[in-house]
Amino acid sequence: MGGYGDVQMIDENGKRADGRTAEEIRPVEINAGIIPVADGSAEVIWGGNHVIAAVYGPMEAHPRKIQKQDRAVLDVRYNMAPFSTTDRIRPGFNRRSREISKVTAEAFDSVVMTELYPRSKIRIEIEVITAEAGTRCAGITAASVALADAGIPMTDLVISVASGKINGVVVCDLNKEEDNYGEADLPMGVCANSGDLVFLQMDGDLSPEEFQIAWDYNMGAIAPVHELMIDALKRSNGGAE
Amino acid sequence: MATPPVPELLRAHLNQLALEDQRLDGRARFEGRNVVVETGVLPRAEGSARVTMGDTIVLAGVKFQIMTPYPDRPTSGGFMTSAEVRPVSGVHWEAGPPSPEAIELGRVVDRGIRESGCIDMEDLCILPGEKAWQVILDVFAISDDGNLFDAFATAAMAALRTSIIPGERFDVGEDRPLPVSKTPMMCSYHRVGGRYVYDAVRREEIGGGERIHITLGDDNHVHSLQKGLKGAFTAAEFNEIMEHARTRCAELRDLINN
Repeated sequence: MGGYGDVQMIDENGKRADGRTAEEIRPVEINAGIIPVADGSAEVIWGGNHVIAAVYGPMEAHPRKIQKQDRAVLDVRYNMAPFSTTDRIRPGFNRRSREISKVTAEAFDSVVMTELYPRSKIRIEIEVITAEAGTRCAGITAASVALADAGIPMTDLVISVASGKINGVVVCDLNKEEDNYGEADLPMGVCANSGDLVFLQMDGDLSPEEFQIAWDYNMGAIAPVHELMIDALKRSNGGAE
Repeated sequence: MATPPVPELLRAHLNQLALEDQRLDGRARFEGRNVVVETGVLPRAEGSARVTMGDTIVLAGVKFQIMTPYPDRPTSGGFMTSAEVRPVSGVHWEAGPPSPEAIELGRVVDRGIRESGCIDMEDLCILPGEKAWQVILDVFAISDDGNLFDAFATAAMAALRTSIIPGERFDVGEDRPLPVSKTPMMCSYHRVGGRYVYDAVRREEIGGGERIHITLGDDNHVHSLQKGLKGAFTAAEFNEIMEHARTRCAELRDLINN
């Protein structure tokens, strides 16, 4: 048992093990302003994932050599807490978290109006408290809300979601069990209003047809998550602004 | 740690308040913030707690690993504490390897628990000389508005007291609660405006002087002491805060044991 091919992840009615349809995302809860000492903050509870994000700044960028004369630099850190997974994670950066931090920073560099804050720095801190597949997407979504909560001017909010493939079937937003049998993963970061992409990764094996389905599933998940983000921001501002 | 642009102004303000026996947030000298303890908050940890004291929020998570006992103590398990103060928790905490402040935090919390003997290390033995449980306590700051020491120590005890040894997952017997026989608690005091206050907020820490941390076990036994930062205190001052710590630790212990 437990082999690759004999797992039934989708039944004859097209329902997944947790009852979702192929294009359905897990339940999502978003709250803003959860870190009192931060300039902006948010938490995203996405299925079994729990990710928090804090924003500090804009502040003076130092050391001076990291300053940009015409815009702010984004200092992004993605990190997994030691108790976020079944096997404890030893504290400290690793290659995976560094790469995710880098592509996340580049995603936000495309929407944050950094030109308004020359020579300054905006810190974006993403911490995975509990991991259950899809933490980088939850982290980007949380950071978007935290930036807005901090009042940082942006041209758009970024929502991130991934689709993948299990046993030859394309599904949206894989959970941990599905991810263990995943044959492909396509995480995307999409601007809510413009529909532009600012974050894109992929690994695995997708035919042109499968790739199109995964792409469309991701695009279909953007609007509902965007609504939750707006709702979270309204609640944290007491309905005002 | 970052210092404010004009720390002397904050210091002068705190001195002025102290003359009127006031504090920044209206509390009395030895009045603590309201403490909220929630357990079972981390689904991937074998024991966990979240502690909120005003705007200070921390998590503690307990994980278990199987270790080879040390040769000089072949029937003993292990206990390790790691304090992570990630830059998410405040503008003054910077990225990089653990700062001396974070290391001190973890070590002081660790000592209070270890020296109280509340965890029976012999009970953690699985196979003498070959296999024993190692208890790993990770304390993690979400929001630092002062007194991370007490927040960490409180969360640590609440997490340990609700921990389940995952015997089944490691194939070494059944799951069972981690026996924790005592409840050591920590109380921290900062010199602010010339006198000691209990449970300082971040601005009191910045504008204050030295600090003293006291961990008391059941029956008020002293299990760890730590004096931090520049400054000197008198025996009379110490006696005063020790007396307060005895009362306050008992209150906190009741909160954890409820």
